Amino acid sequence: MKISNKSAEGHPGFVEVRKFLHAGQQSYPRTLDLEANPAEELRITLQPGTKVGEALREVLQRYGQRGGVGRMCGGTARKLHYHRIENTPDPNRPYDYGAPHVLEGVITFVTGAITVGQNQEGKILLHCHAGFLDGDGAIHGGHLLLDTVEVGDDPLIIRLCLFSQGAFVVNSDEETLFSLLHPTPMES
Amino acid sequence: MTTSTLTKNTETLSNDIRVEEGTLGKLVMARLKPNQDLTESVEALCRQYGMHTAIVRGAIGSLIDAHLEYATPTGWREMEINGPGVEILNVFGEIGFGDGTPHACPLQGVVADVEGKIFAGRFVRGSNLSFITIEITLQEWIPRQGQQVLHA
Repeated sequence: MKISNKSAEGHPGFVEVRKFLHAGQQSYPRTLDLEANPAEELRITLQPGTKVGEALREVLQRYGQRGGVGRMCGGTARKLHYHRIENTPDPNRPYDYGAPHVLEGVITFVTGAITVGQNQEGKILLHCHAGFLDGDGAIHGGHLLLDTVEVGDDPLIIRLCLFSQGAFVVNSDEETLFSLLHPTPMES
Repeated sequence: MTTSTLTKNTETLSNDIRVEEGTLGKLVMARLKPNQDLTESVEALCRQYGMHTAIVRGAIGSLIDAHLEYATPTGWREMEINGPGVEILNVFGEIGFGDGTPHACPLQGVVADVEGKIFAGRFVRGSNLSFITIEITLQEWIPRQGQQVLHA
């Protein structure tokens, strides 16, 4: 794997854009897509002290096997772990998530998105990226582990759009060698 | 596309105000493989599914590098956030082909670099390539036909 550079020199107005070649085999098409049916729109309020991952699973189990997406609309946390992508010595996966960064105290969410996925056995998987401020005002962002998030003094508001006929299901990806969420048809 | 003129107490507020009523339609979920541009891929999905206008319902993933732009008094300025592994924290925007041509940079959002620092701006077309994956969900916007003039 390597990073390739497309030179923009001598071509005013063009932006230099880097590509990355992963260790595995590329496959086509380059976009995997599926039409699903919108099923439910949910506004979820989680009270102080709630464990976010556990609470979302409890809610989602009521709606059966559905794909979904959502956004954090505001709130705080007392504790969370998040990951950033780091360089690794593994030639097959030279970039991967490193050890979690742990924040505790008063944490304010400023943005966040969630994909509701599942594994091959139908177990709910929550993929979340978010940005937040710590108690000193320093801003952080990355891959948020919702199972580590405990709601702070302000309730956490999450909006979810659930769909039927399709879900994001984990599958191994032969190109990046990661297990990734893929759009997958579902009976509903 | 139908537009309305807003009035308040019979006084016309402004012809610059346009209100479009409508509903949300079909929903498309997708995964972008590595080296696919965010904006161009979303537009291709809209064309593929026959959506004249669509909104981003959700997007998570990573970019090799992010190129975001913002307006300044002297014009648009671009910033480059280097990865690989710039995390997409959120994407907002609508994609439309109402007059046949797409907006130059219809998507904006928030990203975090490999040190966890956050940046925001408009995603520059052709310059935000997927690193490992991008999960994205779009939903069609269907304007109501034959709308009445709205009175405020």
